[in-house]
Amino acid sequence: MTIEGLNMEGMDAGILLPAFVAGLVVLLTHIPLGREVIHRGIIFIDLAIAQIAGLGVIIAFQFGGEMHGLEAQGAAICSALLGAWLIHFLEKRASEHLEAMIGICFVLAASASVLLLAHNPHGSEHIKELLVGQILWVDWQQIIPAAIVSAIVVLVWFKFKHKIGKIGFYVLFAIAITTSVQLIGVYLVFSSLIIPALAAAKLEKSKPGMAGLSATGAMIIAAIIGVSGYSLGLIVSALFDLPSGAVIVWSLLISALIIPVLVSKSIKVES
Amino acid sequence: MLIKRLKTLAASLIPLLVVLPGAAYPDSQTSLNVFACEPEWAALAKVLGEDKLTIYSATTAMQDPHHIQARPSLIAKARRADLLICSGAELEVGWLPLLLRKASNQKIQPGQKGYFMAADHVEKLDVPLTLDRSLGDVHAEGNPHIHTSPENILRVAKVLSERLLDIDEKNADFYQNNYKLFEQRWRQSIIKWQQQAEVLKDINIITHHTYWSYLNHWANMNVLATLESIAGVSPSSGHLAKVKKKMAKNQVKMIIHVAYVSERPSVWLSEQTGVPVIALPASVDFQNGQSLELWFDGIINQLVTMP
Repeated sequence: MTIEGLNMEGMDAGILLPAFVAGLVVLLTHIPLGREVIHRGIIFIDLAIAQIAGLGVIIAFQFGGEMHGLEAQGAAICSALLGAWLIHFLEKRASEHLEAMIGICFVLAASASVLLLAHNPHGSEHIKELLVGQILWVDWQQIIPAAIVSAIVVLVWFKFKHKIGKIGFYVLFAIAITTSVQLIGVYLVFSSLIIPALAAAKLEKSKPGMAGLSATGAMIIAAIIGVSGYSLGLIVSALFDLPSGAVIVWSLLISALIIPVLVSKSIKVES
Repeated sequence: MLIKRLKTLAASLIPLLVVLPGAAYPDSQTSLNVFACEPEWAALAKVLGEDKLTIYSATTAMQDPHHIQARPSLIAKARRADLLICSGAELEVGWLPLLLRKASNQKIQPGQKGYFMAADHVEKLDVPLTLDRSLGDVHAEGNPHIHTSPENILRVAKVLSERLLDIDEKNADFYQNNYKLFEQRWRQSIIKWQQQAEVLKDINIITHHTYWSYLNHWANMNVLATLESIAGVSPSSGHLAKVKKKMAKNQVKMIIHVAYVSERPSVWLSEQTGVPVIALPASVDFQNGQSLELWFDGIINQLVTMP
């Protein structure tokens, strides 16, 4: 509790730096994937995939698995991939109602975990841990493997985007979401995916020859929004002693409101 | 022009990043830094150590100590702590191991002098006879809410004062003396509370969950049923029907729940059965300067003034 105003002791690199780097790792995959998600109009896919990953962990636990370590990771990634495949299947079958279907997948997975946990309170702590990871608790042992996975995802995405097809996108997406949700929680994952991409999409030119940014330019803007959102959020959360994840969600939004205004001015001058 | 604009933007972010590693904060080494997981232990440390201690409580009486949101100050305080006081018995299992790892403060790691788990020093209730996963092994070590019995507070106070003089030898006399004073006062209070609680003996009550086990045991109240038969899992309709049946057969005085949980399940049951509900504050309002004695006075008063 700080009554005397600003709280300087939270401004400690040892506390804030791992969280900041975790944010950068997440943004690395979420900037390009977020752009794709906005393009396809499947905004809630990450919530659905994260929930399905959590459901997988619960099912593994029900069958006697341990909730920590490799088994849980394996269960999470397998079920996320299954979820990705399901959504891909739905896209082929009923693409005009895809967003509605994704929403249904989300609530079904969420309610299924409630049912499975009805007689098992022990699991509820862990499902919460999986869905609402807290960015400040992150340490380097978690960041390094996540960074490696994210680097591979991004590399595959940019190198082979046109070869891997739609299913390839869903697979990469499932891997990226499962990795990042455990680092920073579902709220921050959703915001990192959607807010920068949405703000930048407005600046991107819709047709060649029109005023606006190129695809790369839009992604750079999205990255700037993301990085400044995380920096601002961590600093504000330290100074005012507030839960970091929730503050970053809001600071991402503030960055997304301010930065495009600055950029669009320069675009106008340029054209 | 655009590139230039981007560069200025990037440049404006640099100061933000530079601030991060900057700002060191001077340590106040004159007093011992105490990090309490729950306000009851903060209040106990306060009465035993007074101004020899700088005390921080990670939670308030209106928060569920099972869950906690990570704030930067939490880690900063844990880094500077000389002594960590928590309930233990897996109450803080969801966040304390993470906090200790992040704080990387050798003084308060398990096994060190600065690591104090109150529940290790009292006899625990609700210890499961068999470890059945269907009941959740959350409470494998027994009920962690040990501070709801005044006898337990006294036991913990004794061990805690010994720990304080072990860590801070130069003030040993002070801690010893303070403990003696506290023990005297607290024993007198216990006698007073016992007299007050005489009317509570053998009455039937319903509790929301097992938070008040130690208090119920101390005051010899008979817990007829718990609304949440499994901690943390909302009751099924079958369980609620059973509770209602039991309440119809027996004279039940009140439904008790801890103030930080939603009152809805208890109020619902009260509406169904006409038995009154009381919400007891989970712990000391340490942040507003309340003492353990005042908190306990309040609880006993609330219980005995029930019509």
